[in-house]
Amino acid sequence: MNSKSQNRQSVTLQNKIAECEKLVDLWTNYAKSNNIPDDIKNDLRLVTEEIFANIINYAHKSDDIQSVDIEFSSDTDSISITFTDTGIAFNPVVDCNKDIEQDDHCEGGMGIHLIMSLTDHQEYNRINQRNVFTVTKYYTEK
Amino acid sequence: MSLEIAISPEASSGKRISIAGSLDSNTAPELQQRIDAEINKSITTTIIDFKGLEFLSSAGLRVIFKTKKMMDGRGGKFLLLNLQPQIKKVFEIIKALDGMDVFKDQDEMDDYLTAMQNKVIDGD
Repeated sequence: MNSKSQNRQSVTLQNKIAECEKLVDLWTNYAKSNNIPDDIKNDLRLVTEEIFANIINYAHKSDDIQSVDIEFSSDTDSISITFTDTGIAFNPVVDCNKDIEQDDHCEGGMGIHLIMSLTDHQEYNRINQRNVFTVTKYYTEK
Repeated sequence: MSLEIAISPEASSGKRISIAGSLDSNTAPELQQRIDAEINKSITTTIIDFKGLEFLSSAGLRVIFKTKKMMDGRGGKFLLLNLQPQIKKVFEIIKALDGMDVFKDQDEMDDYLTAMQNKVIDGD
């Protein structure tokens, strides 16, 4: 974990599409109170929606309501968002590196491509039967 | 944020679907239902007007691509209009604009439709 992290905020949501709106509100408020630049705020809104939707759609059986922990963490250089879920082991960084062709918009593949394109660093770990996936965006290009 | 959907008739058996707000995991099913109900086999041109759209995720993109595939399958036209910069960026990231008929505004689309109509009249 980044030792420089200053501002953290955590929330636990249920793996339901209806919770997406809550996640957007939380992210918007966090970005505002931490002066996250608008372009990064918008990019990471999309990233959070894509990661959360992937967990909802693929981590569990459709009627299995489970918790998803989300943590926002920012310092002067970057912002990181970590999603922790109890679903089946799934590393989006390597398990869904699909070609994005117009006629091949496979389920989940487009979302993963957006996540990878709009963040600078992605890290996946399987810890205690949980998927822990962190994405990081730097305020300036590295 | 919610999604506002307005569907209006266009010339030559066309329909315009104007969307505003957020097209995301939460709202994409609603758009899909409206399209399934309104874009029947008699519709030859479908226009998606993005003028008021502020947010688009992959769930929304899937609805757009499914509609394009349906229109292509029946030999119809599928046009995208008024893509705002943040929406265009999402299409560009997944390299989805190639092969799409995209118009920056109404005038540009009107010119295209007029040219297509003249082609038909001239028997090209």
